[in-house]
Amino acid sequence: MARLLSRRGFLVTGAALGGTALVAGIAGVGYLATVDVDGLDTFVDGDRAGLNAFVVVHDDGRVVVNVPRAEMGQGIHTGLAMLVAEELDIPFDDRISVVFPTEPLPAYSTWYNVLRVRPEEASGPVVWAGQRVLGLLGFIATGASSSTIALWHPMRVAGASARSMLIAAAAARLGVPVAELDTAGGFVRHAATGRSLSYGELAREAAVLPPPRDPVLKPEAEWRLIGRSQPRVDVPAKVRGAPVFGLDVVLPDMLHAAVRHAPVFGARVLRVDNGAAVRAEAGVVDVAIIDGRQVAVVAASWWRAEQAAARLEIAWTSTAADGADSDEMSARLQAALVSDAPYQNLDEGDVETLLGTGPAGVIEATYEVPFVTHACMEPMNATVIVRADGSAEAWVPSQGPIGVRTGVFRGCNWAGVEPTSVTSKITMNGGAFGRRSDLDVTAQAAFLASRHRGRPVKVIWSREEDIGRGLYRSHAAARMRAALGPTGLPVAYDARVAAQSVIESVAGRNLPFNPGPDGDALSVEGLDKPYYAIPSRRVRSQHVPGHMPIGLWRSNGFSFNTFFAESFIDECALAVEKDPLAYRRGLLQDRPRHLAVLDRVAAMAGWGTEMAPGRGRGIAIEECYLSVVAQVAEVTVAADGEITVDRVFCAIDAGTVVNPDAVVAQIEGGIAFGVTTTLMSAITIADGAVEQSNFHDFPMQRLANAPAVEVAIVESAFSPGGVGEPGVVPVAAAIANAIHSATGRRLRSLPLAVTETIGERRTRSVLPPRAA
Amino acid sequence: MTSFTVNGRPVEIEGQDDKPLLWILREDLGVLGPKYGCGIAECGACRVLVNGVSVPSCMTFASDVAGASVVTVEGLEAPDGTLSAVQQAWIDEQVPQCGFCQPGFMIAATALLAQVPRPTDAEIDGAISNICRCGTYPRIRRAIHRAAGALSAQG
Repeated sequence: MARLLSRRGFLVTGAALGGTALVAGIAGVGYLATVDVDGLDTFVDGDRAGLNAFVVVHDDGRVVVNVPRAEMGQGIHTGLAMLVAEELDIPFDDRISVVFPTEPLPAYSTWYNVLRVRPEEASGPVVWAGQRVLGLLGFIATGASSSTIALWHPMRVAGASARSMLIAAAAARLGVPVAELDTAGGFVRHAATGRSLSYGELAREAAVLPPPRDPVLKPEAEWRLIGRSQPRVDVPAKVRGAPVFGLDVVLPDMLHAAVRHAPVFGARVLRVDNGAAVRAEAGVVDVAIIDGRQVAVVAASWWRAEQAAARLEIAWTSTAADGADSDEMSARLQAALVSDAPYQNLDEGDVETLLGTGPAGVIEATYEVPFVTHACMEPMNATVIVRADGSAEAWVPSQGPIGVRTGVFRGCNWAGVEPTSVTSKITMNGGAFGRRSDLDVTAQAAFLASRHRGRPVKVIWSREEDIGRGLYRSHAAARMRAALGPTGLPVAYDARVAAQSVIESVAGRNLPFNPGPDGDALSVEGLDKPYYAIPSRRVRSQHVPGHMPIGLWRSNGFSFNTFFAESFIDECALAVEKDPLAYRRGLLQDRPRHLAVLDRVAAMAGWGTEMAPGRGRGIAIEECYLSVVAQVAEVTVAADGEITVDRVFCAIDAGTVVNPDAVVAQIEGGIAFGVTTTLMSAITIADGAVEQSNFHDFPMQRLANAPAVEVAIVESAFSPGGVGEPGVVPVAAAIANAIHSATGRRLRSLPLAVTETIGERRTRSVLPPRAA
Repeated sequence: MTSFTVNGRPVEIEGQDDKPLLWILREDLGVLGPKYGCGIAECGACRVLVNGVSVPSCMTFASDVAGASVVTVEGLEAPDGTLSAVQQAWIDEQVPQCGFCQPGFMIAATALLAQVPRPTDAEIDGAISNICRCGTYPRIRRAIHRAAGALSAQG
């Protein structure tokens, strides 16, 4: 069964994908996907009955909703449970609970993230085959702001299907036609006779009935929950301090492990000079080299293990990156902006000619951002047990079981162990931001658990390992050019980015195949500005190889490309002395959705009203994750250069919104994440190693520098868009544009202000706009 | 041997002089509400009340709390399970996102309100230096004002 993902399983199912697609193509299957019916099996077990893969009803009427997406603070457990409750026609109260299902059913697959087709619009053999293969692989993950987009339809179908089965069971019990029955408050009612039966007492009978083929969904006019804020189901436990996180996992006979990674990525363990002495310390159970690359200390207490690990004397191999530093790496980025053969991501119209002739001049600017890291508040951790019979179980605050299972296989294989089964228990994630999609810490725990069969081993990375030995959003630079036409608007737009490919790095660590760096969509997203009416556009990219491990990071390429592009559009506007809002409106005349968002945020912020000296406003817009988001930042720049972000306004069209307060919270949080990155975050390299190690040198926003935030959700008839990442995206450009408005200074490198070192580097990379 | 109380329960600790209170709570006493976030008293996720004062337990040792009353997030609610005004405000304002840092924030807010019953935004910002990576700060301010209102209404 390929559900247990090993390398072999992946290859076998990979072949199956090709085969299935071929067969389906030949047969000319015109398949309309609704909910993947595989795994929608019903069951009766004890006092509960499963009506499909998502809905379990207990005898006492409690409903458990299986939500196969990680709760990492985004409120997804609540939003998706609301969709089931809406269609099941039950109140959203404490009789509903949510679990992350441990069985990796095909119905739970995150196939949307690969196939990029909304389930309700899916059709054709390729989607059909892809859906099935990804389902069989157990490809279940949480990310790319996709959960509501992908499960908006399936969760409602699951609720409607369960309701329909409960009504059919009641019809059989009462001997009346289905058409005479309706539902309310968790009961099926027969109005004519006043009889009613609770869902709880019908569930077992409903579970043996066939699911309806095409359950009818409620029309929008009858929605009672969708669009009305509901309290989060996970909040009460969190407020009571309940042990819901991976860090809090406690198991009988558990061992604890601390790890040390090489300061320079890519180095291997040459030797541990005092391994035997550390092993002999009181409480220490094991000193182990993991995959030749890390050293772990296993002890009865994590704190003891961490103290012992601090005493390890490890010699590492030298690597080609031992001399790398931020200046040299920055120089390589800049050189890549003028490399000979960049990857051509987009080429529409005649950019090259227009840049040469530039009717009203050519604007050019170069921008740069540093490496940054996630710094999830819950440190990286994983707990794994490998039992004597070869079965493995893992408790991980992970973004999905695909990474956990792959990680357990990886780590066990390092120890020469082939697990017979892997059960993934996804705990609450104490922040994730892309970081917990990786399998690294899980593999370490599985390796150590394989050495200590029958005992759970919990690995926790210290904050220093997390900040200094972790995964990073790539540094990146861009060279932007535009030829301005007679009206002042661009007639040609040329964007070129240099970055280390995230896809190549992520695939290299986590997948059995690697698509390589060329054309990495996550490196160029946010650069093409397709909604701006610019007739000629070109986007090119250059992968810059490096020794840093790159990870998925909240909003990926948008986090730098939107800073580049929306700063640059401001520069174009100001070069022809146009108001930045009016200039953007000029580029969006045939984009009513974008205009509505832009106008809304401008109105919120009082765009155009006077501001005191030293203060300024900046605006930026982006379309991302099927949402349109615009922000206005208000800043104050003190005489000594200190930047304060006073307020951030945000308008978002996220399509149909399920839980509005959760959307607002996501945007508030995204803005905080963006402001922190814009003003404070830089990972720098010296002698090949990261220089930062904890919150004293990789600082975070705190209450004292958290701006006031106002969020407006724009009414929208579109299907749901993502909201986890869009809030981050426009922040940097909005702030940089506001600083220019306040001071006349155009800052083109992030962070906009932190240390003296960064300041000097920024000064060197600032190029004045040049009118040709 | 060091004696103190944790959420009203008497405890005795022996031979852990160098081990921070955070890890004594988590590993020896099974009190998991205080979180490890940085280990250097920067983030506040580990904060507990020691005789009513908010301290980072990752830089506090058993000898520092000898004879003292230690209260963690688990001890904020009443014995009958009724949430404290701060906890209720945290629910009413839907403050937590991932929630990992919130035990420390609720401890810090509880200590602040004991000292300053009706704090201004500036007083909140000045008194609480905890870190929340999810960015719940606007809601934390609102929740503290709400809790302050509830507490003063109780008299």
